[in-house]
Amino acid sequence: MDILIRILSIALENKWRLVAGYVSMIFSVLATLAIPTLLGLAVDEMLSDYVNRETLVWMAVILFVLCLLRGLFDYGRIYFTDTLSQMVTYKLRNLLYDKWQNLSFAYHDQEHTGDLMSRATADIESMRRFINLGMVRSLHILFMIVVVAILMIRIDLFLAMVSLIFVPVLIIRATTIIYKLRLLWAKVQEVTGELITILQENLSGIPVVKAFAAEEYEKGKFSVKAEELSDITFASNKLEASNSSTTTFFFTLGIGIILYFGGSRVINGSLTIGQLTEFIFLLNILNFPIRMSAWIINSYSRAIPAGERVFEVIDSPSPVIEKPGAKIMERPSGDVHFSNIKFGYKDSDYVLDGIDLSVKSGQVTAILGAPGSGKSSLVHLVSRFYDPNKGSVLIDGIDVNSYTLASLRKNIGIVAQDIFLFAATIRQNISYGMEGADLSDIRAVSEIAQLDDYIQSLPDGYDTWVGERGATLSGGQRQRLAIARTLLMDPPILVLDDSTSSVDVETEFRIREAMRNVMKNRTTFVIAHRLSTVRDADYIIVMDKGKIIEEGNHETLYGLGGAYKDIYDYQHDFESDVILDASLNPASPEEV
Amino acid sequence: MRQGGMGFSVSGAQQRTGGGGSLVSSSEDELGRVYDGQVVIRLFSYVGLYRGWALFSLAAVLVYTAATVCIPVIVKWGIDSNIQPFIGTGKTSNLGLVIVVFAITSVVHYVSNYLQFVGISKVGQGILYSMRTQLFNHLQSLSPSFFARTEVGRIMSRVQNDILQLQETFSLLVLTLADVLSLVGIISMMMIMSWKLSLLTFAVLPILVLLMAFWQKFAKRSFVRIRTAIAMVNGALQENLAGVRVVQSFNRQSLNLSRFDGLNREHLNANIQASMYSGGVQPLVEGLTGISMGFVILVGGWWVYNGTLEVGVLVAFILFIQRFFDPIRNLTMQYTQLQRSMASGVRIFQLLDVKPEIEDKPDAEDMPLIEGDVKFKGVNFHYIEGIPVLENVDFSVGKGQTIALVGPTGAGKSTIINLMSRFYDVIDGTVEIDGINIKDVKRESLVTQMSMVLQQPYLISDTVWENIRYCHQEVSDESVIESAKLVGIHDFIIGLEHGYDTVLDERGSNLSIGQRQLISFARAIAANPRILVLDEATSNVDTYSDIMIQQALQKVLKDRTAFVIAHRLSTIRNVDKIFVINHGSIIESGTHEELINAGGFYFHLNKINASLQAGSD
Repeated sequence: MDILIRILSIALENKWRLVAGYVSMIFSVLATLAIPTLLGLAVDEMLSDYVNRETLVWMAVILFVLCLLRGLFDYGRIYFTDTLSQMVTYKLRNLLYDKWQNLSFAYHDQEHTGDLMSRATADIESMRRFINLGMVRSLHILFMIVVVAILMIRIDLFLAMVSLIFVPVLIIRATTIIYKLRLLWAKVQEVTGELITILQENLSGIPVVKAFAAEEYEKGKFSVKAEELSDITFASNKLEASNSSTTTFFFTLGIGIILYFGGSRVINGSLTIGQLTEFIFLLNILNFPIRMSAWIINSYSRAIPAGERVFEVIDSPSPVIEKPGAKIMERPSGDVHFSNIKFGYKDSDYVLDGIDLSVKSGQVTAILGAPGSGKSSLVHLVSRFYDPNKGSVLIDGIDVNSYTLASLRKNIGIVAQDIFLFAATIRQNISYGMEGADLSDIRAVSEIAQLDDYIQSLPDGYDTWVGERGATLSGGQRQRLAIARTLLMDPPILVLDDSTSSVDVETEFRIREAMRNVMKNRTTFVIAHRLSTVRDADYIIVMDKGKIIEEGNHETLYGLGGAYKDIYDYQHDFESDVILDASLNPASPEEV
Repeated sequence: MRQGGMGFSVSGAQQRTGGGGSLVSSSEDELGRVYDGQVVIRLFSYVGLYRGWALFSLAAVLVYTAATVCIPVIVKWGIDSNIQPFIGTGKTSNLGLVIVVFAITSVVHYVSNYLQFVGISKVGQGILYSMRTQLFNHLQSLSPSFFARTEVGRIMSRVQNDILQLQETFSLLVLTLADVLSLVGIISMMMIMSWKLSLLTFAVLPILVLLMAFWQKFAKRSFVRIRTAIAMVNGALQENLAGVRVVQSFNRQSLNLSRFDGLNREHLNANIQASMYSGGVQPLVEGLTGISMGFVILVGGWWVYNGTLEVGVLVAFILFIQRFFDPIRNLTMQYTQLQRSMASGVRIFQLLDVKPEIEDKPDAEDMPLIEGDVKFKGVNFHYIEGIPVLENVDFSVGKGQTIALVGPTGAGKSTIINLMSRFYDVIDGTVEIDGINIKDVKRESLVTQMSMVLQQPYLISDTVWENIRYCHQEVSDESVIESAKLVGIHDFIIGLEHGYDTVLDERGSNLSIGQRQLISFARAIAANPRILVLDEATSNVDTYSDIMIQQALQKVLKDRTAFVIAHRLSTIRNVDKIFVINHGSIIESGTHEELINAGGFYFHLNKINASLQAGSD
């Protein structure tokens, strides 16, 4: 109930629209229901002994006006409630969007994009339907039934009772059926999803399907799912058919009942033919709203879980919060200090377990360790993408907590392992952090990132579209684009995840050059996979299970003869392997 | 139905594209012709598959329409023959009989109503099923080159959206038929009862039709505008979610929000505009209905008074008028839908008409157990006429040998492998395995005896068991585990929450690229192939996984013919033979030592790369 009230309260931000919707609704019901009464009067009039032509003309004119009014008010009702519901979803979408982009990494690590998207689409749609159906149509129908009942009782109580007795029964029946239908629809959605997954995986894996001659296997999988889907959909259609045809049946039967009892009364003179006609028309009008009522009740029960899921996002506190009175961070010189850091999703299970580390301004620190040893988590603490459970991170001796998030992050550049590019031009992607930057600046950073030549060689140059449907860049090029993008921000502190393995020699050479260029005069953390990067670093830390197990420079660590030496020797053999299939033409190493 | 679907909700479209963002580009929304004979004929050929149900539904529709038309007539009969004449006479009328007839008609109406829905759904779902599987099966027969030039998103949209559209077309055609039938029924019944009053009632029809046609144009535009707007909104949302880490790193939140607000507002405005104008037709239609009813009351009423018209006819007319505007309105509403469907139909049948490039010969037999001799004789191949990829390739490989293919990108290494697996057929020459021309055997029987590991790892949303076993359902659990151990992924798997029963994430996002590739590698080994092919299998993986694969390679290359496209000298050095390929021909072949000593292309390749590497180190 709280959820529905909350949706209502958002709708009430557009109070006058809701009021206008209700007012239109009331008048549309009145106009609609006046029509049968008028028709009844007209029938009696024409059957009377003396008919005044003028009276008939007036009745026809009033009838026309009533129809027109019904149309106008219906239009008003639909217009006001439709736009109201769209305004609410507009607001909810904005709220969701902004919330999501400000929730910390810890939140996004645990949520799937697909699930979040379904909140923004299906759940918001359910809430919209609730405003349309639940808030306005339900009162509409209720009001209609009441007015019809009054009109009928006014004429004949007994006849009214026999005509309307089955209305509550039908509503209850339809509601239970809709409930069952909902379960079936959920199942239909689920199976559809599975079918799509099979298809998508098949299509994206066509080379493998062919390589294993798995066509028959795939056909079998698909056909079983497709049949399941078709069976469930059929079952739900059958249920729907039974619901709507039953409702229609009772209303048709109702007309018969009225014809019989009403007819008998007309014969014995206690009812006029006009009144009988009015009854039949009134009942006829109710058919559609009653069928609709099941959907309305359904809209309530759907809005509640949908609202829960949407408000859950809107209410979820970000694990990373700006302190009240946070200061703006000026450009720091770049000393970074990790002081007794413990960090983990669960208190017992630390990803980082007691890290102490001091890095001087301008130093390059290489971080080594097996996957899952806590390298990424450590560097993400600097930008406050996560907050540590215990301990603190200091920049130039001041806790990062005391700055605004925006000013802090402005000073820290990140090139992640998974390079994400936006569906936009190369130019827009590079200037992502500095909208509207000069092309000359963009070219300058691209040059440092060893990418300018390549971009220039593209037909559209910097205006080349990248992303889902645009030109595909190779892994190495994407990485260098990300380097350029970060460089444009000129951050004093830099975090690099250098992870591509066996790219061809030329590409590797270029990436390395780009990285060397970019690290100059910045405090840099490199999650290093290449020995050359590691050797060049001022300081090296080796991590294992959330702890720093060795630290120092290359000579010191190698001399220790511990974990670092093992990794180094092992990787050295591997890397010194000659790589053979690089392009023979170094001028265009990446053309396909 | 009056209040039915006048709104412009795009919920249907949203539901279909769902969480995956919009697969439908706005160009897919193009509207085609309303009626395309070819499409309709082909569509109805599917109905033939469900002939019984289709005839059954048709019968139900006819009965239903007849019953619908009968009901007002019975009301008229009751009033005119069994109520009005008896007023104040004290005689007993046959009202009871009227009710019995009415009740029987209601039951017939009810049953036929139910059956027509069920029948149409049965046929509709059947068609949907047949088309989906036919399309899917057809896709399986197409060659990789088709998929290389066609976006996956587009094909997905064919199988998902276009087929749904087409199925809707079918239901629509049936509904349209039912609407036309009931319109014909109603009109003829009205004409029979009073042709003069009927003509008066129909007087407004031309205006209504014109109005609807005009409104339809507008509705179409609004609809497209809303669809485009919602696709942009969802696209922006999706992108922001996927790139949230970059967004936060670059402090783009407020700029992004204002951009998103722009898109979101455009969607709102599109909807408001649609509600404003599209709803505007409502009062006009109601006004026309009012005019019709007014005529009936005025003129009909006067005739009733004169005694030239029975009052029951008048009541029946008003009941008919209400039923008669609905089909007309439906017909115009279905116009846009029909256009969309026809466009979908054209696209689907286009796809179905793409010819598979590789087909088994009609008399092809199964390939016997492969020993592993592979022979290319004078093979020429090109993907595009005039741009040769392989020229006169001749070689012979003995069983159990390991062959490395070396050469610059684009030299034709992968093509050689693709021809051996019959992804494509050679243009000239032959490929023989164990002396059998591979064109003469069934492709499936040949290829199931081979395994490939490609550059991109491939996982399905299923358990680790199924991922390793894949289409080789005969592989035992032990062999699965053994293969996983061999490639060094076993320890990782048993460390997962459910071990081998863990369902891997859709895109394998719970695994690193390297781990995904190790599983793909285990799959290739579990199939116990007679010929193993590795096509740049380690290009995309991290150092750790690369090392794992290199170690496993030493073991699995034994006892089987293998082709390796690789770039690590350590892998290549130990193979039985190296083919150096450049510009579509084998220019050198021999062992590592032989080729180095020969001082040719291979020698230089080594030298250049070694120096580059040293220089960059």
